[in-house]
Amino acid sequence: MTVAAASRRRRHISPVVWLFLLVPAAVEVGLVFWPAVNSFYLSLTKWNGLGAPENVGLRNYRDMFSDGVFREALGNNVIWAVGFGGLSVAGGLALAVALNKPRRGVGVYRSAIYLPMVFSLAVTGLFWRVQYQPDGTVNTLLGAVGLESLERQWLADPKTALYAVLVAAVWRQVGYVMVLYLAGLKGTDPSLDDASAVDGAGPWQRFWYVTWPQLRGVNTVVFAVTVIDSLRTFDIVWAMTQGGPYHSSELLSTYMFQQGFTFLNLGYASAIAVVIFALALLFIITYLVRTLKEEVS
Amino acid sequence: MNTRKGWAFHAVMAPLTLLWVAPMAFVVLISIRSFDDIASRGTAALPDSFTFDGFRTAFGEGSMGKALWTSVQVTVPAVIISLLLSSMAAFALSRYPIPGRRAILLVMLAGNLLPPQILLIPVSRITESLGIYDTLVGLIAIHVGFGLGFYTFVLHGFMRSIPSEVTEAARIDGAGAFSVYARIVMPLCRPSLAALGALATTWIFNDLIWAITVLRTQAKFPVTAALLNLQGGYVSNWNVVAAASIMAAIPTAIVFFAFQRHFVSGLLMGSTK
Amino acid sequence: MVHSELSRRGLLAGIGGLGAAALLGGCATSSSDSGSGSSATLTLQSSLSDPSPKAALTKVVEGYTKTKVTLNTIAIESFRAQLPTYLNSATPPDVLTWYAGSVARDYASKGFLLDVSDLWTGSGACAGFSPALKELSTGADGKQIFVPTNYYWWGMFYRKSAFQEWGVRPATTWDEFIALCKAIKAKGVAPLTMGTGSTPWVASGWFDYLDLRVNGAQFHRDLLAGKHSFDGPEVKAVMEHYRELLPYIDPKGRSYSWQDAVTPLASKKAGMYLIGAFITQSVPKDVVDDIDFFRVPIIDPSVPVAEEAPTDGYFASARSKNVAGAKELLSYLASAPAQEEFIKLSASSNLPTSPRVSTAGFSPLVQKGIKLLNESAAITQFFNRDSSDELQSTADTALTKFLDSPADVDSILAGWQSAAQKVLNS
Repeated sequence: MTVAAASRRRRHISPVVWLFLLVPAAVEVGLVFWPAVNSFYLSLTKWNGLGAPENVGLRNYRDMFSDGVFREALGNNVIWAVGFGGLSVAGGLALAVALNKPRRGVGVYRSAIYLPMVFSLAVTGLFWRVQYQPDGTVNTLLGAVGLESLERQWLADPKTALYAVLVAAVWRQVGYVMVLYLAGLKGTDPSLDDASAVDGAGPWQRFWYVTWPQLRGVNTVVFAVTVIDSLRTFDIVWAMTQGGPYHSSELLSTYMFQQGFTFLNLGYASAIAVVIFALALLFIITYLVRTLKEEVS
Repeated sequence: MNTRKGWAFHAVMAPLTLLWVAPMAFVVLISIRSFDDIASRGTAALPDSFTFDGFRTAFGEGSMGKALWTSVQVTVPAVIISLLLSSMAAFALSRYPIPGRRAILLVMLAGNLLPPQILLIPVSRITESLGIYDTLVGLIAIHVGFGLGFYTFVLHGFMRSIPSEVTEAARIDGAGAFSVYARIVMPLCRPSLAALGALATTWIFNDLIWAITVLRTQAKFPVTAALLNLQGGYVSNWNVVAAASIMAAIPTAIVFFAFQRHFVSGLLMGSTK
Repeated sequence: MVHSELSRRGLLAGIGGLGAAALLGGCATSSSDSGSGSSATLTLQSSLSDPSPKAALTKVVEGYTKTKVTLNTIAIESFRAQLPTYLNSATPPDVLTWYAGSVARDYASKGFLLDVSDLWTGSGACAGFSPALKELSTGADGKQIFVPTNYYWWGMFYRKSAFQEWGVRPATTWDEFIALCKAIKAKGVAPLTMGTGSTPWVASGWFDYLDLRVNGAQFHRDLLAGKHSFDGPEVKAVMEHYRELLPYIDPKGRSYSWQDAVTPLASKKAGMYLIGAFITQSVPKDVVDDIDFFRVPIIDPSVPVAEEAPTDGYFASARSKNVAGAKELLSYLASAPAQEEFIKLSASSNLPTSPRVSTAGFSPLVQKGIKLLNESAAITQFFNRDSSDELQSTADTALTKFLDSPADVDSILAGWQSAAQKVLNS
């Protein structure tokens, strides 16, 4: 858009356009921000769901930082962000690249890898719990290849529980990320790739210098989605370990749920939620503001 | 086509895919076993029985049929309204110089950053004061509200990449904003709308937490909540739960396969063309 | 450019937000006033999502023809999370299932439960129930707020045919019990099964019983109320006995749910299970008649024998729009015929609370359970029902850690005490 065209556009925005923006914005404010503001308010109170909340100022936040379980959950979230985020993105990207070119059976492979997203987390959790049992498939396979020494009670051992759940969560998420990257790859220009192949570039060089820069838009979406999903992961951890054994696989989201809905410490749970929100905001906003600024310039 | 590489490709992908599909096979195996078989030999054992009792019970006592219909009644309007509203907002934000539009977009997306669990109690109170508690309308409204930020964000990216010459031409011809939206921009967005539609269908159909928060009457439960109720506080009939899960997965699987074509050409953001 | 746009809007948004926060904060957390007016229907909100009890309650409710009753069954975890919302609503469910004990009393003290004392006097439905049950259903202000309809016992469950095969017999004293465990272990079978993976509360079963056997019911109740310390000598003595059990507990149980751990018992790969009578719901049908139990062995004969018998029942919402109807439904549910029908259909070896229910038709196992409880000097509920879910979670953490590293018992108990204090003082 030229500068002249932009300044011509500034003069008048029709009321229809304002309506287009304000109706959805009003819906989101009413149904999302209104409860969210309540949650922020609740984080400054002590409340068990009945009667009136009792205002306690910043006490919940002070308690949080001296709470060993909170610190453990925070540490686990970092591991989770790196592991779950990193592995699902790497795996999704690799699978998308591998399954992008039309080939016999590629549609079947793609569908099979997305299928986990379609199943309820209750049975997914059950399946993985069973595989990780002492007589389950994982240990049986390890024994079959002579690695008996690695056999253990995966979900009952505090050192392995978190990672065992991580594997299950990545297995589920990879299909979703793959689909996003497939969409992005379809938007890349194959002629650029062919041209550089003719010029003698190897497959890795072609990917890194030709394809990857064209994926910038998709990467933004994938990054946003990955950060949001890794901070909000709840169902699969809850279904498999409920944060146990003794909090070794606790994440901020499971701890928040337990505090809020098993113990009815709604004020404290809201404070944890505000921390989750702040972390997500931090990552997303800095990345997005930078990206959107780049696009403008 | 290099046949040696082709063979290697399948050699890697086939076992990998089997690994991915294994859980589904496991669920199917459990769904055709009897409760006694599972109780006496464990969930990990190979089936020693073959029965459709699980499916029968899920349909009968579990009223999966009714719950599936309720899920459809919630998902279809929610997806349509969400896409309508978010495309409107994305249109306004991407093609008009609204002051603070970048900030507004980010604020709308920020609405998706809060963990839904913590909003449960405020949402239930607010729906009650609005008179839509324990109604499907209330559930649809919540789904629409919670999807808006993300869908607007994605559609905004796609709409930005539509060349301005296309809309300028229409404007010079005297078309108002609404015509530009309805006749030019939306048809061009069809692929990304289809893709978002498929994703939104998966999310809304598989949602559990809002259904449990907004609804109280069991007869109004969608499939996910009905599935949860098949698990007891003490004992779970895993064969029934497995059978019900398969029934619950079928609609979203169908939608995914149907929309797949658009899926792999839709979710672009600012493509380089 | 971007900054100035942001700041103007941001400032306005910020001010608006703060003002809204104060206003809206009140809005979503305040409980709505109950308007006047009554309704002619009733809503029964049930947390009994287990297959047989659910079917049983459905049948029982169908038999109530006086008013139309809508039965909503919600999975227990969601029910527990939504319970404050249900009770706080302007149109709450009229009658709800729940447990007797501290949680019910807590809700009552905040005024959310209907006073049902008239059901406990004169010719009311609960008038003939035992004094222990009445005490259990009484709130802090002396009024009854709960209607108990069934309870069940805990015991050492085993398979009769398995014991016969191994040539062993149930034990009555602690020393006999250890010898029994040794004998079973010698047969290559895990003497004790215990599923503490996704259901860590099972570990509290042994803790409660050892505490009852070593220190008595009064000490146990006081401990859970915070009057004794978890790292005091009495609890240390309990853990000493717990430690004796560890070599006999199937280590695989650490990965099982309580329900998974029944499978070894049913397939004779494990000997005994300290669990509630609801175990009969989860064994294969051909095994049910082979299941028997014996009382948890006596450690100190001078301590009055106490047993655990969690009690389930119903309460009504104080804001119900149909108070008379709610009370009538409660009376029906507490009546002998309704109790009998529920117990028969629910297959979970529950005991009736009404003395008017004839137990002659119940299975021999259930009759043995009744005898067990009648012979006890005191009855407690279960750890979480006698205290709170939050205190239960401190027990789960401490006891599962103990199962993994018994040598650290002193530091584990110290940690338990500080966690418990935090819960009890908040």
